[in-house]
Amino acid sequence: MSDTTIPRTPGAPGAPGAPGAPGVPGAPGGRRARHAKRPAQSSPQGPRSPKDPGGTGTPGADDARPAGLWSDAWHDLRRRPLFVASAVLIGVILLMAVVPQLFTSVDPYDAVNCRLGDARQAPSADHWFGTDNQGCDTFARTVYGTRVSLLVGLSATVMTVLVGGLLGLLAGFRGGWPDALLSRVAEIFFAIPSVLGALLILAVFRTGTVWTVMLALSMLAWPMTFRIMRAAVITAKGQDYVIAARALGASGGRLMFRHILPNSVASVIVVATINLGVFIAAEAGLSFLGVGIQSPSISWGLMIADARPRFLEAAGPLLFPAAFLSVTVLAFIMLGDAVRDALDPKLR
Amino acid sequence: MGRYLIRRLLQAIPVLLGATLLIYAVVFALPGDPIASMSGEKRMDPDIVGILRDQYHLNDPFIVQYWHYISGVFQGDFGRTFAGVEVSEIIASKFQVTLNLAFTALVMEAVIGVGLGLYAALRRGRAQDTLVLASTLVLISIPTLVTGFVLQLLLGVKLKQSTGIEIFPVAGVSDGLRSYLLPAFVLAGTSIAYLARLTRTNLAETLRADYIRTAVAKGLPRRRVIGRHALRNALIPLVTYLGADLGTLMGGAVITETIFNLPGIGQELFRSVYERQQPVVVGIVTLLVLVYILANLIVDLLYAVLDPRIRYE
Amino acid sequence: MRVFKGAKIIAGAALLSLGLAACGSGTSTGDAGGADQPVRMRIGEPQKLFYPSDTVESEGAEVLASIFAPLVKYDEDKKPVEFVAESIKTNDNRVWTIKIKSKFTWHNGEKLIAQNYVDAWNYAANQENAQSTNYFFARVRGYDALNPGEGKTPSTDKMSGLRALDEETFQVTLKQPFSQFLTMLGYSAFYPLPKAAFDDNGKVTEAYAKKPIGQGMFQIDKPYNKGTDQTINLTQYEGFPLDKPKFKKLQFKVYNSAETAWNDLQAGNIDIQEQLPPSAISAAKAELGDRYIDQEDASIGYLGFPLVASDVYDDPRIRRAISMAIDRKTITETVFSGTRAPADDFINPLLPGYRPGACQACVYDPEGAKKLYEEANGPRTLQLGSNMDNGHKEWIEAVANNLRSNLGVTVELDQVEKFQEILDRLEAKQYTGMFRSGWLIDYPSAENYLTPVFSTGAIKTGANYAGYSNTDFDRLLAKGDSAASLEEGLKYYQQADDLLLRDLPMIPIFYYRMNAAFSEHVRGVRINLLNQVEWASVEKVA
Repeated sequence: MSDTTIPRTPGAPGAPGAPGAPGVPGAPGGRRARHAKRPAQSSPQGPRSPKDPGGTGTPGADDARPAGLWSDAWHDLRRRPLFVASAVLIGVILLMAVVPQLFTSVDPYDAVNCRLGDARQAPSADHWFGTDNQGCDTFARTVYGTRVSLLVGLSATVMTVLVGGLLGLLAGFRGGWPDALLSRVAEIFFAIPSVLGALLILAVFRTGTVWTVMLALSMLAWPMTFRIMRAAVITAKGQDYVIAARALGASGGRLMFRHILPNSVASVIVVATINLGVFIAAEAGLSFLGVGIQSPSISWGLMIADARPRFLEAAGPLLFPAAFLSVTVLAFIMLGDAVRDALDPKLR
Repeated sequence: MGRYLIRRLLQAIPVLLGATLLIYAVVFALPGDPIASMSGEKRMDPDIVGILRDQYHLNDPFIVQYWHYISGVFQGDFGRTFAGVEVSEIIASKFQVTLNLAFTALVMEAVIGVGLGLYAALRRGRAQDTLVLASTLVLISIPTLVTGFVLQLLLGVKLKQSTGIEIFPVAGVSDGLRSYLLPAFVLAGTSIAYLARLTRTNLAETLRADYIRTAVAKGLPRRRVIGRHALRNALIPLVTYLGADLGTLMGGAVITETIFNLPGIGQELFRSVYERQQPVVVGIVTLLVLVYILANLIVDLLYAVLDPRIRYE
Repeated sequence: MRVFKGAKIIAGAALLSLGLAACGSGTSTGDAGGADQPVRMRIGEPQKLFYPSDTVESEGAEVLASIFAPLVKYDEDKKPVEFVAESIKTNDNRVWTIKIKSKFTWHNGEKLIAQNYVDAWNYAANQENAQSTNYFFARVRGYDALNPGEGKTPSTDKMSGLRALDEETFQVTLKQPFSQFLTMLGYSAFYPLPKAAFDDNGKVTEAYAKKPIGQGMFQIDKPYNKGTDQTINLTQYEGFPLDKPKFKKLQFKVYNSAETAWNDLQAGNIDIQEQLPPSAISAAKAELGDRYIDQEDASIGYLGFPLVASDVYDDPRIRRAISMAIDRKTITETVFSGTRAPADDFINPLLPGYRPGACQACVYDPEGAKKLYEEANGPRTLQLGSNMDNGHKEWIEAVANNLRSNLGVTVELDQVEKFQEILDRLEAKQYTGMFRSGWLIDYPSAENYLTPVFSTGAIKTGANYAGYSNTDFDRLLAKGDSAASLEEGLKYYQQADDLLLRDLPMIPIFYYRMNAAFSEHVRGVRINLLNQVEWASVEKVA
């Protein structure tokens, strides 16, 4: 899963619990299989959810519930080398995005630092990664490019989780015609090839900014989250504690947000973490095609696109941002893997 | 089975209509004038632009234009470009390139991906297994954009410079199958890694199943146990994955096509968006939606074939 | 095991399709020495079908130039010489009498007659036909009757200033004297059309535009399907009466990417490529020797000021300072690798009338620029609008960096997808910044760098995107147009050029250069003023 596929596949590498998972969760076989196996039977959730009829109202129980599932997962995570490695990497990347000045004293946004006469130099003590076609320092630009790339990834993830998650919750909980309608709409968006669709949407906006790229990516990626959420909600709806809460007269809204949501959100979070990396890669792809981020903003994809015409003469300005991009995507996918394993121990 | 098929096909119609309408609307909303883009950098006489706009019905409201288009499609007419060429002809010629690319990629996925997965599953827990797991994780993380350029530089350019022999052409499709190998691998890269992991987990799980233990206990040769019993059952999710991936590969080929300069539908779409050739854009996307729907349908049917427990009513 | 059967079918289909692809390409890559092997030249995809009067871009013009023969060609001194024309005479630069050679025939065997020119030109000049070379005929008397404006129908379909005198002679009467008219006639807009091109309603048919019948050296083998055909094959026309090329078959291969074409040239899959990509230049120089052509090209790249939309740049010192702050030399060397040359006049060095170093404001002087800019109290933020494709992005960013660091201003890049968008927004006064522009001459005369780009009349119909209007300038052009000789006209044009150099409504940045290469299979490749290969001199090497 890379820039060629904006999150279509739920991206759970090697997840045995989801046979139909990649790409075709709508397939009847896949759905059936998942319903039978997935969160319903994952033993740690059942007993630890104190959603017994009596405890629903008390604040104490509310505090205890998330602590149960999440603190357990956290405890589990801390012991995983995969998680620690990815967390450290992500920490460095985040730091780079927030305070790039810590890593380089050169401000690539200041034109004085770019001397056209020095273009396409090999790496040296002055320019660790060499210089690009405009004679700007590749290292400084790569460091400063982190912010935009990360911002696109984060915002698109938040957006898809919000939109896809809420709609999925609604569709799964309500069923009936809202479900049918939303599922059809999701299917339409699902069927449109993602890169091509994003390319079209961005062409309408004319100028690529963090926000338009985010919008284009989320518009095509939300159906994935929608489906996962919907499936999880449908499963949760049939659980004893929900039936019990309903019998006790809990309102629809309360059922949805207090009882069902907390128990369905785990799988969405796993996919979201992995998708974050995929969005970052997708931004690079779109910027490479010339419809993503535009200069003078700096993003890795844009740097790759700029370096491309002279790639065979000077590969550095292309390969260094490409390496940063890959490491970032790797870090998020590793994180997603680790979180999935922690939240769903059966998949280990 | 028959009724199921008909139901599925009927369900596909609103998806297809919705997707074309959506794409048509987006294309309609594209800023810029298709007529102006025909004139290059010289300004056209506004009077002449006006006359041409009328000729191409560009002044009609959106829904009228869509109606013109979709009623044509139902009569098998996908419209014509501003240069008067049938859109269906253009798509057909470009489609061949993308189809070649996607199929080569699919074959690579099946061979390399399943092979790697099988290898790792049979050596579960050993160093080779860990190596496969780690390398596939890395492969998943590297975007096509990056693998494309790196492999193009290393295998396309450097290899030729150092050996003097051109094994993988740098770009273009003028060398037949050889031109497709490198781009197809780049395109398939992530999927190969996914498939390897999927195979490994599935096979490993199957190998622990009771009936395998029984087969081994019966004294069947290992080769037969794995090939006949384990692999066949592990195959179901793999086929699903491959089928669904065909659509993704074709739709996602634009970046690979751009890097390696393959004149496929991705590049054509890119150019048509630029030139505001609305019928070409809508035609290509419609076709890809169709591929997606059909691929998924076939996968579902295959499912029933592979797993006798699944019956479609 | 039905699965495996399915898998086999899929794999089989893939192999089959690959096999077909391999066969398809096999025919084009074989041994280049064979007798029937064509000379293969790279072109980009033509923007339209082959309507001669609707072709204003280089790729379509290249193909048409092999199918059609022009009235005049240009000699070593860039002077027009008769080609299809036997003689072109005028006494007053207003009434021109053109006699064509009698031995030319169309590819369908019909004789070329004067009426063919009259028909073609009337067709091109008629607004109903929406031809993009329409404006070329604006100087001809009776043009206005064919162009009453949108929504109105022309009262006639013939220009009163254009008539055939006999089978081989026709006469053109211009509205005003125009000394350079002769030089215009080598351009594709002035090709004739045979009777067979028109349908019953007098429109040029699409069938004709796909398989044009010309009177030139080559005839096209089969109809061209734009968008699907990757090659255009031509065969020498035996009936061509003048010098014929020394090879039989010519093939244009369509490549959208110059880089791919360059790879194929090195691999021996094409023989001639015009316009090498900048990334190929150093390799081409080193490896090709005299098979690399580097010559002057008639195009200029400018930065324009929005005089029409804003008064921010009205002080000429600001424009001068901006011009002085741009390091043309480094940009042409680094960004373009020598595929452009620094500009120092509004007239291109290719043509008589160019004066080296005429543009003093084009000399790089960062300190002087900054001082002048501050004196004139120039704006602190500059906008720079451009489309970013076709390699424009790199030099626009380099210019922006020059302005940022030398003038200490903020430069915002306004990126558009197509150049047209800037023009539209300038016109609507929505965009008020500087913009990229360029000009490729329509015919080789110094005058063509001035009138269509800077005259008052060109604000509406031409390429005067800056909106420069100076009556002195217009008057000098008129004097040049009615001068008795080309040389005398040139003096006035240079005086007009001096006004531009003083006022700088746009600033010239670079001249394009023609960088071409050819393979070992051919020799004698020459490229003319219009950037077209002179096929008559090309030979295949056995």
